Amino acid sequence: MDKQKGLNKEMTRRGFLKLFGGLGLVGATATLSGCSKEPMGGEGWMPQQYQVAASNYPTQVRGRIPIDPMSPSIMRDDEKCILCGQCLEVCQNVQTVFGYYELPVVNDTICVNCGQCTLWCPTAAITEKDDTQRVLDAIEDPEKIVIVQTAPATRVGLGEEFGLPAGTWVEGQQVAALKQLGFDKVFDTNFTADLTIMEEGTELINRITGKSDAPLPQFTSCSPGWVKFCEYYYPDLLPNMSSAKSPQQMFGAVLKTYYAKKMNIDPEKIFSVSIMPCTAKKFECQRPEFNSAGKYWNKEEIRDVDAVLTVRELARMIKAKGIDLPNLPEEKYDPVLGEGSGAGLIFGNTGGVMEAAVRTAYFVLTEQDVPDLLFDLKPIRGLDGIKEAALDVPGVGTIKVAVVHGLSNARPILEAVRRGESPYHFIEFMCCPGGCIAGGGQPRTALPPSDEVRAARIATMYGKDASYNREHRLSHENSEVLTLYNDFLEHPISHLAHELLHTTYTDRGNKLKAKKLS
Amino acid sequence: MSKGVLVDLTKCVGCGSCTVACKLWNKREFDKDSPAVGLNPQLDDQNWTTVSFNEVQKDGQPVWRFVKQQCLHCEHPACASACFAKAFQKTPEGPVIYYPHLCVGCRYCMLACPFDIPKFEWDKSFPLVTKCQMCSTKVAEGQAPACVSVCPTDVMTFGERDELLALAKKTIDSDNRYVKHIYGENEAGGTNWIYISDIPFEELGFRTDVTTRPIPEYSHDFLKYTPAVAISWGALLTGLYAYTKRRNKIAKEENKDVPM
Repeated sequence: MDKQKGLNKEMTRRGFLKLFGGLGLVGATATLSGCSKEPMGGEGWMPQQYQVAASNYPTQVRGRIPIDPMSPSIMRDDEKCILCGQCLEVCQNVQTVFGYYELPVVNDTICVNCGQCTLWCPTAAITEKDDTQRVLDAIEDPEKIVIVQTAPATRVGLGEEFGLPAGTWVEGQQVAALKQLGFDKVFDTNFTADLTIMEEGTELINRITGKSDAPLPQFTSCSPGWVKFCEYYYPDLLPNMSSAKSPQQMFGAVLKTYYAKKMNIDPEKIFSVSIMPCTAKKFECQRPEFNSAGKYWNKEEIRDVDAVLTVRELARMIKAKGIDLPNLPEEKYDPVLGEGSGAGLIFGNTGGVMEAAVRTAYFVLTEQDVPDLLFDLKPIRGLDGIKEAALDVPGVGTIKVAVVHGLSNARPILEAVRRGESPYHFIEFMCCPGGCIAGGGQPRTALPPSDEVRAARIATMYGKDASYNREHRLSHENSEVLTLYNDFLEHPISHLAHELLHTTYTDRGNKLKAKKLS
Repeated sequence: MSKGVLVDLTKCVGCGSCTVACKLWNKREFDKDSPAVGLNPQLDDQNWTTVSFNEVQKDGQPVWRFVKQQCLHCEHPACASACFAKAFQKTPEGPVIYYPHLCVGCRYCMLACPFDIPKFEWDKSFPLVTKCQMCSTKVAEGQAPACVSVCPTDVMTFGERDELLALAKKTIDSDNRYVKHIYGENEAGGTNWIYISDIPFEELGFRTDVTTRPIPEYSHDFLKYTPAVAISWGALLTGLYAYTKRRNKIAKEENKDVPM
C-alpha cells in the first residue's frame, strides 16, 4: 500500500517540463542524426491497374491519348485526368486512330476530332473546346445578326441534359430556347441535309450512269471525322469521296449568299452559329477552304460558319440563363432555310443518309413514285457495324449500298475498296458509332455510351420520320430547297452549286506513316 | 544491382500521361501558369517531370519530338556530395533520394547539379528542395516508377542499368535512324536514366557539354583531407590551449612567490 501511495505522487511543474524537455531533445537528436528517414514523394495514389507487384508487366488499359493543345475541337484538364485509359480505349479500339501509325510521329497530333473520348472520359477531363463565350459576345453585339442552325440529331439529345429520358423529342423546345437565348433567326440543318441529298444524289447518279468519270463506290462526306480519317489513312481513296460539302457547311455558304441577298443583309454582319452533336464540326468549320461566301462576295475573311456549339454547350447556355427547357412552349423554325424533310431528319442516324439518298435517287432515276420499301429500309437500319442492301432500280439495275459506322468498321470495307473487291456503288460512312445521334458532342447520358441510349435516340428519329406524310419524307419535295434552286442555284451541280456546295479534300497521308494492317 | 530507366524518345507521342502519374503518386499540385506539358513546360517544385514539345528538322523536313525531363539519378550524384546534411542520398537500387527533414535549406545541391534539377519551394515560409525521387518506395518493392508504368507507347523501360545499356546499344546499332549516342551512359559519370533518340540531343535541349568524369571526384581530391585537417587542427589547437594554460598557471604560481 505504501509503495502504491508513493507511485501516485503528483507530477510537479518542474517534473513535467523536465520529462517533456528531455523527450523533445531525444526526438530532435534522433531526427537530426537521420534515424527517422521519410523520403519525399509517394504519398499519393495510382489507379489499380498500375499497382503491379513486379516491375515491367504491361497493364491492359493505360495512359491516355495525345491532344493537340491547339485543337479546335477538344481540350483536356490535366487536373481531372486519372489515367483510366478510357480515351485510349475508344480512340484505339473503336475508332482505330491511335496506335495505327508508326512512331516516331511526323509533325501532327493524329486526331480526327470525333470527340468520342469526351463521351468515354469518366471525369470529364476531356471536353469540347468551349465556344459559348464567343457566341454570347456575338449575341450581345448589336452590330451582329446571329443566325443559328440545328443539326438533325440535336433534337433527340438535348432533352437528356434536362432530365428527360434518352431520345426525347425536343425540337420545338430547342427552337424556343434558342430564341430566348437571343439568336436572331433559328434555322434547321435538315434543310441543307435535303440539299445535300440533291447534290450528292445527283453526283451518285452521274457516277452510276457514267456521266462523271469519278470512281465508284461513292463515299458519303457528311461526317467530318470520317473525312479526316480518310484523308489520313486512305488518301488514295479520296476520289471516291463525294465532293458535296456536309450539311453544316452547305448551310453556312447558302446563308451568307442566298439568304443574305434575299433579305438584303450585309453578309459580313451575319454571325453563323451551328448547334451540332459533333466536335469534329468545330474543326470542319475552320478548314481554310470553307469560306465560299467570302469568295462569292470577294471578301476572303468571311467564314461560312463562324462558331459551332455542341449540344452540351447549348445545354450549359440554357441552364446558365435559367431557361426551363422541358416546359417551354414549342416553337417552329424560321422560314426560308427552316424546312426539313423526314429524309433530312434521319441523317442523324447510321443508315439515314443512305436511306434519304436512295429515296431521292430512285425518284430521279426512274421518275416513278418511291416504293414503300424505301421508306423503311430495314437492312440498313439498326446498330450492326456494317450493313448492306441491294436495290432493284428499274432501268438501271441492281444498286448495292453499304452503311458503316464507327471507324473500326470502316477499315475492312476501305481495304476491300482499295483491293478493288468492293461490290458497292454507294457507301455511307459515319465516324461515330450509331451516327450523329451518338456524336462526340451529345449529352453524356451513359458512360461509356451505350447501345440502349443510341437505340432510343434512333427510334425517336425514325418514328418522327414515319409520322410525317409521304411528301414530307422526301428531300426532293422540300419546297424551300426547290425555291433555292429556282431562285438562285438553278439545278443540282450547277456552276454556282459547285462553287458553294462542293469541296475538295486534303491528302494528309504525309502526316503519318500508317501501320500495315495484318 | 542498380536500377534504371531507358527512354526511347522516338516513341513519345506527347500525351503527358507520365506527368499526370507523377502528380497523382507524389501529390503534387497543378498550376495552370506552370504547365508540365507543352511548348514551354516548367520543371519546378510541383512539376517533378515535364514533357516538352520540340519542332526540329529531320532530313530537311519539320518533325515533332517530345522530351521527358526529370532527375537523371546520377551514379555519382553531385547533389549528394555537395550536401553536408546528408539530405541527398544515393540508394543501392539507383534512386537519389531527398530527405526533407535533414535539409538545412542551403541549396548547395541546386548549384552542384549539372542538369539543373533540384528546385526550391520559393513561395513557402519553410521551404524545402524538391525533385524526382524515381518513386523510390515503388522501386524498393520492385515496381517501376509511376511515370514508366502509365506510358501508352512504351517510351520507357525499367530494369537493371547494365541490361538497359545493352538494350540501348543494340537498338541504336540495329536501326540507322538513331543517333549513335546513349545519353546518360557517361554524362556526369553515368546516370540511371538513359536516353536514345533519332535527333541529336543538343537539338532537343539536352546539355551535351556535361563532363563524363563523376562530378564529386573534382572536389574529392581535396575534400578527402577534410577529416584529417579537422582532427589535426583540433589537436593542434587543443595542444596550444593546454600549453598556454600551463604557461599561465606556472606564471601565476611564480608570481605568487614574488614579494609585493
